[in-house]
Amino acid sequence: MVEQGTLNPKVEGSSPSWPILTMKNYTFIEHTADIGIRLKAKTLKELFKNTALAIFEIMAQKKPSAVNRQPQVKKIILKQKAQDLDELFINWLNELLSLSSAKGLIFYDFKIHKLDKNSLEAEAYGENINTYKVNTEIKAATYHALRIEDKGDFWQAEVIFDV
Amino acid sequence: MSDIWQGPLEKIDDYRWRIPKSYKAGMRVDGIIYADEKLLKDIRKDKAPEQVANVAFMPGIVKASLAMPDIHWGYGPSIGAVFATDISKDGIITPAGVGFDINCGVRLLKTNFQYDEIKDKIEDLIYVLFDMVPAGVGSKGEIRVSEKEEREILIKGARWAVEKGYGTEEDLECTEEYGAMEGADPLAVSSRAYERGKAQSGTLGSGNHFLEIQVIDQLYNQELCDEFGLTLGQITIMIHSGSRGFGYQICDDYTRSMIHCLTKYNIHVPDRQLACAPFNSPEGKAYFSAMKCAANYAWNNRQCLMYLVRKGFEKVFGISWEKMGMYLIYDVAHNIAKIEKHTVNAKETTLCVHRKGATRAFGPQHPALPPRYKKTGQPVIIPGDMGRNSYLLVGTQKAMEETFGSTCHGAGRVKSRTAATKSINVDILLKELKAKGIIVKASGKGTIVEEAPQAYKDVNEVVDVVHNAGISKRVCRMRPLGVIKG
Repeated sequence: MVEQGTLNPKVEGSSPSWPILTMKNYTFIEHTADIGIRLKAKTLKELFKNTALAIFEIMAQKKPSAVNRQPQVKKIILKQKAQDLDELFINWLNELLSLSSAKGLIFYDFKIHKLDKNSLEAEAYGENINTYKVNTEIKAATYHALRIEDKGDFWQAEVIFDV
Repeated sequence: MSDIWQGPLEKIDDYRWRIPKSYKAGMRVDGIIYADEKLLKDIRKDKAPEQVANVAFMPGIVKASLAMPDIHWGYGPSIGAVFATDISKDGIITPAGVGFDINCGVRLLKTNFQYDEIKDKIEDLIYVLFDMVPAGVGSKGEIRVSEKEEREILIKGARWAVEKGYGTEEDLECTEEYGAMEGADPLAVSSRAYERGKAQSGTLGSGNHFLEIQVIDQLYNQELCDEFGLTLGQITIMIHSGSRGFGYQICDDYTRSMIHCLTKYNIHVPDRQLACAPFNSPEGKAYFSAMKCAANYAWNNRQCLMYLVRKGFEKVFGISWEKMGMYLIYDVAHNIAKIEKHTVNAKETTLCVHRKGATRAFGPQHPALPPRYKKTGQPVIIPGDMGRNSYLLVGTQKAMEETFGSTCHGAGRVKSRTAATKSINVDILLKELKAKGIIVKASGKGTIVEEAPQAYKDVNEVVDVVHNAGISKRVCRMRPLGVIKG
């Protein structure tokens, strides 16, 4: 474990669709070739959302020149089905990575409307990738050493990304 | 760093170590790691050996689950993994044995230039090439293609670029599979993959991908150097790239479908990322057809990149690339699955050979080689990190016998990206490289640090092992002069 990442806590712009991000933490897990992270969250929905937020924070930061500009928000509706929670989690993250690449978007907020271990319905809010400085390409989330655990009063996930 | 791996590694000889199949119930064959004692210490430091054992569970696996000396911890199989399944006996194919960046690979060009002739032009060349070659995450290319053309690329591979005037027939002869695998089926590719791939032809990408101007600094085999037309001090160029978002999407699409195949075909593997299907099942065939599309996309991509490099040199020197002798030596894939014939238990057997971070290294006279390389054996190109060396090797008969005609693919990481980012100062690193005569241009400073020499094993040690083990033979060594990173 090396360092803490903090998701952008600041809210810029005044559009009503611009989300309020709360401060969340994740830690990096040492992995020789790829990037692994560990997260905690109060609920499963929050765990799904925070992992997605972490991915895009690792990938890109908003360009200083774009920080105070009114964002051009693009909303995408996602529906995912899976046999179990692990598969749902990986499918959710990989669908976001795929959409980000195909549509040229960086996602900065998510609303998860429905989530059980076999299905998910959510909205992802993205901005044009040109308003971001992209640091790292994350190719995909993997099942390797994946752990999603209900710890009683919180949920914890460990996931390794191919970079 | 993680705990030291405590499993068994029995010494076979100075360069091979066995994980016996008795290590874990479910292993069908032994694991064999190619390494010397020094490299083995690093290899034990992460979970790569456990991954070698996990691959031994794959249905239909023959001989052994192999790992090359640049092995490091990946997902599913380790990076540096080579394994083959008997497709006549329910042998499987797995996207995890290829990786997300399908047909990530390297090509090496020679030139007529000697270092002394162009040493003052290296910086100009790097700046011109950095302008011409789109690099970085999600970079888009100047070579724009329609959807119809994209489908053609998936079938024709590098031939598409040659027909467009971006290369020659000779380039195709000097490319693994002549630049395209037969049987690519564009209908096996999702619309999302098309969407991700359409703007990325002729782009370098990011991460460990690079374009390098190099000088040959050591010859190992004069006869082979003569065959390849290579001399000490000669300038070479290396291009390392893959299938970009197109390949990632195919891997993602088919990993999704193959997760369900584990239940459907009653396959037990210790890591879900090893999701697979029998090669001859509908899912296995569909993945292989789609994988070929991505492989062909990547060969076309590297062909387009080489075209841009030739153009860049023409711009700087004002003479044609032919006059500068910018001929392709060879292009190799190091993330791929192939159907090949190899001898198993003294019988010729048709296998699905997976190479994930490993290079094909066919020996002399192999039918897959073009006439010009029948005598030498297949050229094998091994990129190192940006501060040390790269190599040209050739394949050997011993590789055919021991490793399904395979060898290492590079240096292999030894330090995580996060650890590299934390411990390395980019400005100091750039100064150190400059002092060694290496100019680096990158689309972001983050990549330079993540890819710093300290994050990698010494490629010289890795190549020593494959040479001494006899699974490939050293021809010559290059050192970098100018590097463009994505």
